[in-house]
Amino acid sequence: MIDSPMPWLVLATVVALVYWPRVGLAALLSSRRDRLRRELVEDALKHVLSWEQRGKAATLESLSGAMHASPTTVLQLCTDMQKRGLLHVAPGGFGLTAKGEQLALHVVRAHRLWERYLADDAGLPLDKLHQAAEKAEHGLSADYLDELDAHLGHPQSDPHGDPIPTRDGHLEQLHAVSLAEWPSDKSARIVHMEDEPTVVFQQILAAGLRPGMIVRILDQDEERLVISDGVNEHRLAPAVAANIHVHPTEVGQSLPRVATSLADLNKGVVAEVVEIDDACRGFSRRRLMDLGLTPGAKVSVVLDNTFGDPRAFRIRDTTIALRAEQARLIWVRPLAPAADREGVAA
Amino acid sequence: MSASATTPQSVLDRADGLRRQLGATVRDDMVAALYEQSSIIVDRAVKGRGSQNWDLDQRIDRVVTSQIFGLPIMLLILSCIFYLTILGANVPSAMLASLLFSFEDLAAGWFDALGAPWWLTGFIWHGVYRGLAWVISVMLPPMAIFFPVFTILEDLGYLPRVAFNMDWLFRKAGAHGKQALTMAMGFGCNAAGVIATRVIDSPRERLIAILTNNFVPCNGRYPTLIMLAVIFVGAAFPPAFAAVAAAGAVVGVVLLGVIMTLIVSWVLSKTVLQGEASAFTLELPPYRRPSILRILYTSLIDRTLFVLWRAILTAAPAGAVIWILANVTWGDASLAQHSVDFLEPFGWALGLDGVIILAYIIAIPANEIVVPTMMMAYLGVGMMTEPTSYDDIRRILVDEHGWTLLTAVSLMLFSLLHNPCATTILTIWKETRSARWTTIGALLPLAIAFVVCFVVAAVWRLVA
Repeated sequence: MIDSPMPWLVLATVVALVYWPRVGLAALLSSRRDRLRRELVEDALKHVLSWEQRGKAATLESLSGAMHASPTTVLQLCTDMQKRGLLHVAPGGFGLTAKGEQLALHVVRAHRLWERYLADDAGLPLDKLHQAAEKAEHGLSADYLDELDAHLGHPQSDPHGDPIPTRDGHLEQLHAVSLAEWPSDKSARIVHMEDEPTVVFQQILAAGLRPGMIVRILDQDEERLVISDGVNEHRLAPAVAANIHVHPTEVGQSLPRVATSLADLNKGVVAEVVEIDDACRGFSRRRLMDLGLTPGAKVSVVLDNTFGDPRAFRIRDTTIALRAEQARLIWVRPLAPAADREGVAA
Repeated sequence: MSASATTPQSVLDRADGLRRQLGATVRDDMVAALYEQSSIIVDRAVKGRGSQNWDLDQRIDRVVTSQIFGLPIMLLILSCIFYLTILGANVPSAMLASLLFSFEDLAAGWFDALGAPWWLTGFIWHGVYRGLAWVISVMLPPMAIFFPVFTILEDLGYLPRVAFNMDWLFRKAGAHGKQALTMAMGFGCNAAGVIATRVIDSPRERLIAILTNNFVPCNGRYPTLIMLAVIFVGAAFPPAFAAVAAAGAVVGVVLLGVIMTLIVSWVLSKTVLQGEASAFTLELPPYRRPSILRILYTSLIDRTLFVLWRAILTAAPAGAVIWILANVTWGDASLAQHSVDFLEPFGWALGLDGVIILAYIIAIPANEIVVPTMMMAYLGVGMMTEPTSYDDIRRILVDEHGWTLLTAVSLMLFSLLHNPCATTILTIWKETRSARWTTIGALLPLAIAFVVCFVVAAVWRLVA
């Protein structure tokens, strides 16, 4: 065979693979470049916004430090953004124009809503949220965020307490006191934990502290804070405590829990639900509430498990199996072993 | 412009503003109030009829979830379903096949009589139609048995107890206990198993269940596994033990699939799908008498016909491809022969051969046609072919085409681990709506199959 069509076929295939609109190699590379470019712009906007919120102007140095980029790249980026009307030169650095601020708040909204989703629906641990959301926050439309917002039940803050901006760019200010400055005789509720730098955040989490916890400072000196949540004591360096923000407790919220967790309930004992722990949020919380685990509901253990987990509970005349992880988040008060129908049967 | 004009948008805006003032506990309060009200109504309107049913339920529960009986009961019931499915499907399968294939000959005869060219008759009747007929006759009877029986267990209320028993394993793998159910469903059909993952309400665990469902062999893959077990494992034992040894080999492959499921789930939950298990809640409903009509409806319409329809959509093109490969010649051999020669070294590296790889490429739409396609290629005939007996197959494979025990073991592993069929891939796409997860769902098992087969073949050849 002399006139084999093979070489032509191969050539045509290669050309198609490279230059096919939208899915060809060339199109993919160029869309990837656009995407990386947009991500850089959005990251820069976020940085300038966060410095503005602290009353400072972002500089070339701060930008290049935060974005791990060379000053030359950042300079070029900023010039570009000024041309597009996103940045203006402010005393001592850069400031956001109205258009820039709107875009920055959109990205912040995406970031915080996405953190909320990852924590509530996907169950990602708190110290993994930030990085995952950093990746996911780009290129989401405002309509998409509205949908996500509705799906999550219009949350007002992200999992570590930062307020989520509204679609029209309204961002509530966090009026909270740092735990390092809190008086030791009053109990307080943790409303916010700064998630950057990660090392400090991980220390807060390792100490077992969570947003929503009610704590009291037991002892305080130059080197450490000893705080109590009513059950356990936690030790923190003052620099770490400065990254935790608290509110005064509302009336009726008291420290000591006169309750045990459902995970520790023995078979044959009927108990009354006190509350679902604040650490259980979003989807998980809704699910447990929907099953009837509302304050005052009676629960008892009906089936232990050979392998310890899950155990089945009798709740409102239905049998529901829960893993220990879930049961630990449900606080109950054991009643006297009653002659209840379920109590006898168990 | 009056400021007080009420438009739908202004109402929404006002609601938005008010929502921010509601406070954090409003949802909790609403649910609590709903339950409070409804329990008042229940107290007033509903009278309990004593506790006999509840006591019986508890007694059954204590047996089926007990340390001693729980697992054996579960295994027994599952093996019974498989046994019923395989045994019960044989006769109707054969009947359907002879009916559908006789129509093929009849229709081809009409075409010839009308003077249609041989390639048109061949393409339509020996290609597309034969592919369809094959898939229908092999798939329909087992599914029409498996799904109703499975649905009876579901209706009875037994399946949640299985999830209850097995959850500790899945918890360790970072997955959801209900994955045990979707796996069991996967024994019937992986596409149905993927759909069944809807019962898992947290997105992360659901994705894990979707991506790993392929590791339980479906009805379409059993014929391959059973054939290999009988010819190679069974034949290695004295006749008295042959059946038991063959059955044992199949069970071993299934167990390997379960182990792979757990390992891959664990790896996924430690890497791309990180996270804590979110809300695990599993209702253990009271035992109920199954309602037969509803079972027939849900299992036949929702599952069997649904899956069959998708299989038909993918099998028709496969039939066409097979016919073209076998009947179009280039140079001095058919396209099929060229492909086999091309794939031979690759197949050898995996402990297989070129024909097997080609059969698996063609059988991406439906695994049922793997064995018939292999036979077609080995025998050099122009259409899919089913040999008459296991002795025939043994003679063809071992004596004429040099199969060894390694070929059989590699093929069993490949059949268990390789990429899901097109129907399942399509279903993964429909359920996740994500090109990324669909790609991972298709390629991850394939990569695992390649690695496992390659390593097994390399070690085997080194040792032997």
